[in-house]
Amino acid sequence: MQNKDGPQADGELEAATSNPTPDFDDWAKFGDDDIMQQQTAIRAEEAEKAPFVGDKEPLSSLAAEYQSGSPILLEKIKVLGEKYAAIRRTRGDGNCFFRSFMFSYLEHILESQDRAEVDRAKSNVEQCRKTLQSLGYADFTFEDFFALFLEQLESVLQGNGTSISQEELLLRSRDQSISDYVVMFFRFVTSGEIRKRSEFFEPFIMGLTNATVEQFCKSSVEPMGEESDHVHITALSDALGVPIRVVYLDRSSCDSAGVSVNHHDFIPAVGGLPNASGSTETVSPFITLLYRPGHYDILYSK
Amino acid sequence: MIDFGRVQKELQECSRDMAASGIKVSPKSDNLARLVGTIPGPIGTPYEGGTFQIDISLPDGYPFEPPKMQFATKVWHPNISSQSGAICLDILKDQWSPALTLKTALLSVQALLSAPEPDDPQDAVVAQQYIREHQTFLGTARYWTESFAKASSLGVEEKVQRLVEMGFAEAHVRSALEAVGGDENLALEKLCSG
Repeated sequence: MQNKDGPQADGELEAATSNPTPDFDDWAKFGDDDIMQQQTAIRAEEAEKAPFVGDKEPLSSLAAEYQSGSPILLEKIKVLGEKYAAIRRTRGDGNCFFRSFMFSYLEHILESQDRAEVDRAKSNVEQCRKTLQSLGYADFTFEDFFALFLEQLESVLQGNGTSISQEELLLRSRDQSISDYVVMFFRFVTSGEIRKRSEFFEPFIMGLTNATVEQFCKSSVEPMGEESDHVHITALSDALGVPIRVVYLDRSSCDSAGVSVNHHDFIPAVGGLPNASGSTETVSPFITLLYRPGHYDILYSK
Repeated sequence: MIDFGRVQKELQECSRDMAASGIKVSPKSDNLARLVGTIPGPIGTPYEGGTFQIDISLPDGYPFEPPKMQFATKVWHPNISSQSGAICLDILKDQWSPALTLKTALLSVQALLSAPEPDDPQDAVVAQQYIREHQTFLGTARYWTESFAKASSLGVEEKVQRLVEMGFAEAHVRSALEAVGGDENLALEKLCSG
């Protein structure tokens, strides 16, 4: 290793001495580049560890992860096992909620062949397009992302020339040039919904970050790799009209009645009314995500 | 791969409303990965009246990765390196999003000229001056605008040349010109009285 470092270090030295101007601020510039490089390296490392979307694994693999960990978590995983059979992990790159949602949704359409749902989703997507336009987004900034998502939606329906298999769906979800575009599509949709209903979302955002709606969308929704919170989930669920169940696996425990696992259903608002989750709606989510602090994976019911 | 289709659309959109925004982006050659952006200095700032050129190079991952931007015109500003033109701006780093464009990024750079953030400096020397000797900062920034960001600023080196030929030391000439905002006659008066 040291031998390899030698010439490189010399090269840097040479570059530094041949620079005629004293760079007072070079440390600052180097710092930024350094950080960017470091981030790229971390991402590459993460990429080696896990694909964007993993294989389906039995729930026991989750228990194995916590074998020497908190007894509460192990208990909770046992409870999870009563209802859920499998887990599909996603990469922890800050896009895991959107990526989980993407795969879970498209997989559901592929398996159910629910044309009515696809038509309904498409008309919501058109609505989202209009929302972005009315908010002043230039068409070319989002149209490619919309087109690519609609293409995926078409392709999971059988019977048209372009239909794909489960394996192909998995491959596409792991292909950055498709997967990242779909994630970005969801980020556009989420941001558009939050801005459109800024009065509704404002208090939640204030509670979360003390930022304005505009700042929040710019800094926590639209950039890739920014993690999602209940604000993002509510907005995406409302915008696309897709209910989402999130099961929480954390160390909180309910004292008396033994261990139970909390979940929250995000039920889409109808006609722009606030998301009335926990109501007596009959809509039941077909997408279930497992939340562990800072990360989302996909859960499969028994 | 850079999404060149999108870059094309961005250039078209930018040239369409150039009159309104004052912001221009044009390719350096026929390779769309290297571009030059132009922004007018904001009114009411020491950069007013200047036209600033920014070198833009697009990374392979564009628009998922931020465009690399660097001032080609020398500028005196806490968040821009006076040596290299490197810009310290969050949207050119981790706050970049594919929802942004070259035009919106340049608008943010222009906004940075109006609202420096000396607590997050790119150029520590300029930032110190901005905080401790604000009047000097304003004078220097104005002088740099005069000297480097105006079509007429081409003449500055000639002014220096002429004054040096009269027998003044170059360092004195430059600081005199700087103090009077680039006016040759006023600089001469100042040099004679000093």
